[in-house]
Amino acid sequence: MANLKDIQRQIKSVSNTQKTTRAMKLVSTAKLRRAEELAKRSRLYAAKMNQVIAEIAGRIKCNKVGGIDNRCFEKIENPKVVDIIFVTADKGLCGGFNIQTIKATKKLISEYKEKNVKVRLRGIGKKGIEFFKYNEVELFDSVVGLSSKPDKVKSDDFIIASIEDFKDGKIDAVHLVYNGYKNIITQELHVNKVLPVDADQFECEEVQSSILEIEAQDEEHMLESLVNRYVQYNMYYSLIDSVAAEHSARMQAMDTATNNAKEMVKSLNVKFNKARQAAITTELIEIISGVESMK
Amino acid sequence: MDKLKLEILTPNGEIFNGDAVSVTLPGEEGEFGVLAHHASLSTLLEAGVIDIEKEDKSVESILINWGVAHVNEEKVIVLVEGAVAIRGDSESAVAKALEDAKKLINDIADSGPAIASVSARIESAARKLI
Repeated sequence: MANLKDIQRQIKSVSNTQKTTRAMKLVSTAKLRRAEELAKRSRLYAAKMNQVIAEIAGRIKCNKVGGIDNRCFEKIENPKVVDIIFVTADKGLCGGFNIQTIKATKKLISEYKEKNVKVRLRGIGKKGIEFFKYNEVELFDSVVGLSSKPDKVKSDDFIIASIEDFKDGKIDAVHLVYNGYKNIITQELHVNKVLPVDADQFECEEVQSSILEIEAQDEEHMLESLVNRYVQYNMYYSLIDSVAAEHSARMQAMDTATNNAKEMVKSLNVKFNKARQAAITTELIEIISGVESMK
Repeated sequence: MDKLKLEILTPNGEIFNGDAVSVTLPGEEGEFGVLAHHASLSTLLEAGVIDIEKEDKSVESILINWGVAHVNEEKVIVLVEGAVAIRGDSESAVAKALEDAKKLINDIADSGPAIASVSARIESAARKLI
């Protein structure tokens, strides 16, 4: 039988852990609410952005001979160099949240490696960066601190390098891997190809009767400017989505941890009571046998 | 008077959604006004001030740093990158909005002469409110 004091100490330590995990869960719940709200508001922008870009791109595609003359909308058959951007959290203790993203990234890398395509890996978030550094996978560049506090300006600065390289023809595709928020208990892994933009999704629309004539060149110029913003926005959205997902994952992980600690305290209490009973029984036997021997 | 529906959205959420009598937008090729039933058009906007005239004749000014306007007969959708609405219930709220607006202007490093006129305009818009 374990020592009574030892068990008591163990119970105390486990209930302290439980307190910590519960506090972390509450913090995550509060943060999740805010992050979720932000993501929700931002989705409105995404919907309108898609609508505007689809309309303009569709118009150019269908009305202009030769379609859209922009590298961002071309289909690139045999890519030589591709960018893979992954977004993980800066902190752990959130279940399988980070490892899922890492696994998906690894899979994508090996797929490209098989086809002899050079991969430039760009990382956001400490956990993913640490993982790839530890495994000696070369990172093209990396940012820490952006995934826990998404900032539009910083995220724009980060993605613009990829956009410029893509337009210059240095790279042939840009992929974005992140774990997004689906609902409070599930996260959804996204592996998105942000560049080139798939032009097939744009459909020809009927020309509205009231449309003001605009020079085709103007529209192309507009599309050029829009596609930059579109990709930048996608990057930013993946960051806010990832934050929401991170908090929901952490909330869940901490909830499970709290429950486990509770179970553990329960079983330790049983153990403690048993040990106490055993001690009492031993003492009683000692007394009784002492009395018996005196008879 | 006819009204048009106006939506102004930033990546961080809606900044204006409602009816307006007219709206003046800082287009890339010059300022233009939109009334209800305007013909469809899409155009880029540059840094400047959007003036919204509401039904009660009051004018609300919103400073933007970049945007794209999508106009059709019923609706005007403006997608902007960064925006600050010059509004507030109290003097201090207006002053704070003005400060935010100035910060946003300073972030727009390029287009030199345009900045001066924009900051003058937001100040006069703020003065009207106080």
